[in-house]
Formats: sequence, structure tokens, C-alpha cells
Amino acid sequence: MGTPSFAAKRLPVAALLPLKRLRAQLAPTVADGLLSLGLLALIAWAAVQLFGWAIGRADWAVLQLNSMLLLVGRYPLAEQWRLWLLGGLLAAQAGLSWGLLRAWPRADRREQGQLWPRHDRIAVVVIILLALLLPAGLRLAGPLQGRWGLLAAVLLALRWAAGRWAADHWGGRLHRRGLKLLGLLWPLLYLLGFWLIGGGLGLAAVAPGDWGGLLLTVVMASFAMALSFPLGVLLALGRRSSLPVLRWGSVAYIEFIRGAPLITLLFIGQNILGFLLPAGMSPDRVWRAAWVLTLFAAAYLAEAVRSGLAAVPRGQLEAARSLGLNQAQALVTVVIPQALRVALPTMVGQFIALVQDTTLLSLIGLLDLLGMARGIMANPEFLGHSSELYLVLAVLYWSCCAALGLGSRALERRLDPRNLAGSP
Amino acid sequence: MIRAEGVEKWYPNGFHALRGASLTVNRGEVVVIMGPSGSGKSTFIRTFNALEDFQKGSITVDGLALSNDVRQIDAIRREVGMVFQQFNLFPHLSVLENLTLAPVLVRKRPRAEVEQQAMALLERVGIAEQAEKFPGQLSGGQQQRVAIARALCMEPRILLFDEPTSSLDPEMVREVLDVIQALAAEAITMVVVTHEVRFARQVAHRVVLMDEGVVVEQAAPEAFFTAPRHERTQRFLEQIL
Repeated sequence: MGTPSFAAKRLPVAALLPLKRLRAQLAPTVADGLLSLGLLALIAWAAVQLFGWAIGRADWAVLQLNSMLLLVGRYPLAEQWRLWLLGGLLAAQAGLSWGLLRAWPRADRREQGQLWPRHDRIAVVVIILLALLLPAGLRLAGPLQGRWGLLAAVLLALRWAAGRWAADHWGGRLHRRGLKLLGLLWPLLYLLGFWLIGGGLGLAAVAPGDWGGLLLTVVMASFAMALSFPLGVLLALGRRSSLPVLRWGSVAYIEFIRGAPLITLLFIGQNILGFLLPAGMSPDRVWRAAWVLTLFAAAYLAEAVRSGLAAVPRGQLEAARSLGLNQAQALVTVVIPQALRVALPTMVGQFIALVQDTTLLSLIGLLDLLGMARGIMANPEFLGHSSELYLVLAVLYWSCCAALGLGSRALERRLDPRNLAGSP
Repeated sequence: MIRAEGVEKWYPNGFHALRGASLTVNRGEVVVIMGPSGSGKSTFIRTFNALEDFQKGSITVDGLALSNDVRQIDAIRREVGMVFQQFNLFPHLSVLENLTLAPVLVRKRPRAEVEQQAMALLERVGIAEQAEKFPGQLSGGQQQRVAIARALCMEPRILLFDEPTSSLDPEMVREVLDVIQALAAEAITMVVVTHEVRFARQVAHRVVLMDEGVVVEQAAPEAFFTAPRHERTQRFLEQIL
């Protein structure tokens, strides 16, 4: 409904000549114009400086020589095909999901059901640039360049094929099945990923101590997210429980964790957690840190979920109970879905913080992305090139967090009751 | 069907909401409860399906005594439908899903069969064409009619209405009361808390006045409105008529 009035407001500006339009936007008054001009000059100056440094003084050899080290750490060379395979599967799965979900008709979009909406075209260009130009620009070895290109090709091909298919079968029984299958495939792929990364069951084992770089960062962050989510929901429910033991236990846990800095918990975890967890879980340093991250994030998530639960009117639970649903059924089907939708932005904020918190792992001696980069900087061969590395690190972390933020906003729009009208 | 005797309830803050309220509702009977706000009428009918607990007295619903036994309470709730003042539809589910959720989950009936029944019910309350919409897209009157259909989809033996038209815009009150009246003609046992005098006169078999947590008077509608015996009822009728 908001679209027509939005368009009506925009129309006069859009109808003007480009130059006039620019002026209307940047300099409606003299003071605004000066401010715009000043800021534009500042941005231009910064861009020129950065660009000059990037192609002039910067020496990207440090990246060229260490790209695999930054990506996967000291993962054995002979076993790295497993990671490429996993990358390929991830690309395929991502393309498939993207395509299947794309034509989703939405109340807030004019370009309903379009095969390649504008955002997707932008994303395609970015993906092609990243996968082809970046490896080429860094002058990576030929096979490496080929593999990156192949990943992008798999992703885009499946996006294209699945998008076409979804457009033909939209809303039908097959499409619904396909969407359901996606929800099952992602957890399966996640477990498969752990098998491919860690080995066992016929594959040569690669100890967690050998995982590193971006691989370790992503494994740690995703593991902590996946497990802290159910834990956080349980803690939030515990905090609202009518059982005093459960309630006070949850409160004590949440407040203790939130009162302690993560770094101290990580150190404690390296020393104490070994005694607390079941034998199989305890021995490895990497897993101990992963559990600390999980337990840490769970406390913050619990608070986010609690605020969501508080936002669900009491009448919802009463209506569910009066229909004969028991407490568990009412929570799972009625209360929690609504609470999570409210809590979603806060939860994603916590997840983004969690990704950044993984950098603390380098302080307890793990070779995550930051730890790996620090290791490379310590190598006398690359002395004086820390700026290049830090810049790349910043971009990589930013990409992870931006992806989470974008995904969250897309999900929020999709779950908004006002946009639910046409969902299958 | 419902036998409540000497029900007393204190809220946690010490407020004595029910002070020995007693009421018997027979099978197929439509009982309308009236009374000033704060008289405990909502609290009273909410004790019938254990949305409120009580400290003294006894309530039997359809032969089952209300106790702290959770299973007993769930069994009673399956047979007692409730329609709320605020509708309380599930906003994240479509109209159709609002209806099918409980029968599929609680009664374990096959989804296809329940959907068929749900569509028939929506037809009956006049909103079958809205089945795929979400509650937020409907008017208040439509939402309340969905809520009634949702309660009916569980095939309850008793329906409780807690001020079903109090939060509706005036022009929508009629459509909801018409639906309730049509149900009454089908001999479903109903207890209705409402301020709608016309509705009470036309539909109720018995009208009950509650005040300060007790049942003051109960009588057939004509007797209730034209020849009230209690002074408290007379005062109440003077205020609302």
C-alpha cells in the first residue's frame, strides 16, 4: 500500500533533468550545497589516497603468497581437495536456495516474480568480480584461479536453473516440497561439512589444531551460532519458568556470563572446561574454545529471546491453551515463532558480535583469521606489510557481518505479517 | 454440563475477585452473564477452562472435576471452546491455519479432512474467501468470526464467550452476534459474557447477574429484564437500559 504514495513523492524529483535532480538532492540550499561539496571532496581525497596506496606503495605479494594460509591455515595440502569440494557443494546449495526463493511474490515489491530483480543483477556482478578479477588481480596460480571461477560458475548456473524452475512451478506442490527440502539440506550439508573438514569414517583425519584462517573463523562462528540458538531459547524459557530452580538457575547463568569478559571465559575454558564436559568433547583446545563461544553467545541470545517473549501478548498463550494445546505445543507453534520474529534483529546483532568475537581466539593461541594474519606478519619476509593484511582482514570480516545483516533484513521483511499475504 | 459451586478466587495481589460464585449450566442451554465491570464475570468463566485458578469451591465440566491435574485440564480444554474479547488469533498463521492448528495437533486428525471442515466452518461464518489471508488483514468483525470458527473446529461441547463484541466497532457488532445467535439455534451449550441486552433477550435461555464476585440473580430473559427481584439487578438495569 505504501508504494503509490512513495512513488508520488519521488516522481517530481525523478522527472527533472539529471543535473537539476542532482542539485535538488545535494544542494537544496547554499549551506547544504557547501556541506555536500565539502563531504564529496573529503571522500574523493580519501579514495584517491587509498587507490594510490593500493596500486602504488602496497605490495600485494603478501596476499598472493599466503592466500591459502589465510583461507585454511595449515590444513594439509594433500587434503585440501575436500575443502574445495565443500566449497563447491556450498556454492551449489546457495545457488539452489537463491533460485528457489527468488520468485517469492511479496507485497512490498513491485518486481514480483521477476527472474533477475535489480539486487540480484548487482549480486551477480559482484560475484563475478570477486571470483574472476580478484584472483587474477592477485596473480594467484592458474589452478587456483580456475577453481574460484568454477565455484562462481556452479553458484550462478544453479541460481539460473533453479530460478527458472521455481518460476514455472511457483506455489505448486513440487515447489513447496523443494522449499521444505532446502530446510533439510542445509543442516545436512553442515554435518557433511564437518565430516569433510575433520575427516574420519574413511577420510584421513585432520586435527582441529590444523584448521586455521577463515576456515577456522567460519567453523567456530557457525558452530557457536547453531548451538547457542537453541540454548538461548531454552535459557529464555527457563528464565520465565514457574519452577524456581529452573528460573534462578537460568538467571544466575545468564548474569554470570554477561558479567564476565569473553577473553577471561576463553582462558577459563582452556583450563577448566576440560573437567566439566563429557570426555569426548573435552580434549581439543579448538573445541573447548568453540564451546566457550557457544555458552557465551547463548546467554546474550537468551536475553534477546526474552525480550521477544515479553512482546507476545498473554492472550496468545491463553488462546492456544484454550484450544487444548499443551504448554509445549503452545510454546512451539504459537509463542516462540512470534517471539523469534520480534527478537530477530537483536539476535542477528548478537551473531554479528559473535563473528567479531572470534578474533579473541587469536589471543589464546588459535590460528583463526586474525591469528593467522598475525603469524604471517611475524614472518620477517613480509615485514612492513601489515596494512595490506589488516585491510583484507577488515574487508573479510565486514563481508561476513554484512552478509548476516542483509540476510536478517531480508528475513525480517519476509516474516513481517504485512508481507505474509502471498507466501506459499 | 457445567456445575460451579462456591467458587472463590484471590488474585496474587490479594484482590478477592470471586466470593463464592455458583452457577449450573445445562446441556444445550445458552446462559448470558451480565454485570458491572469488575464484578468478576470474566474471571468466573475463565475458571471454567482453567485459564484462571481458584482457591475454594468446586467446578465440574462435562463430568470432569477441575483440579490441578494438568491432563484433566487439557482434557477439559479440548471440550470447551473459548472466544476472547481481543480475538487472540495467531497473527503468524493464515486464517485456515488458525483453524486447523489445534485439531491436527491435539486431536491428531488428518490435515486434509480438517481443512475441509475448516472451509465449511468459514463458509458458515461468511468468510471462506479470506481463508488464505492473515488475521492482520481482516476487520475486527471478521477476525472475531474467524475466532469463533477456530473454536468450533475443535468440535467443543461447550463454548465460552468472554465479551466477544466489546472491542468491536459498533457497525461490526451485529455480524458477530448473528453468528453466535445462529450457533445458539443449533443447541450448543454456551456461556456468554456480554453487555448486549438485545442479544441477551433474543438468544439467552437464562440471564445471570454477577456483582462483587457472586451470582446475584438468575432468571429467564423476560423476567430478568422486566421484573428483576433483586435491588442490585434493578440498579444495574437502570444504568444500562
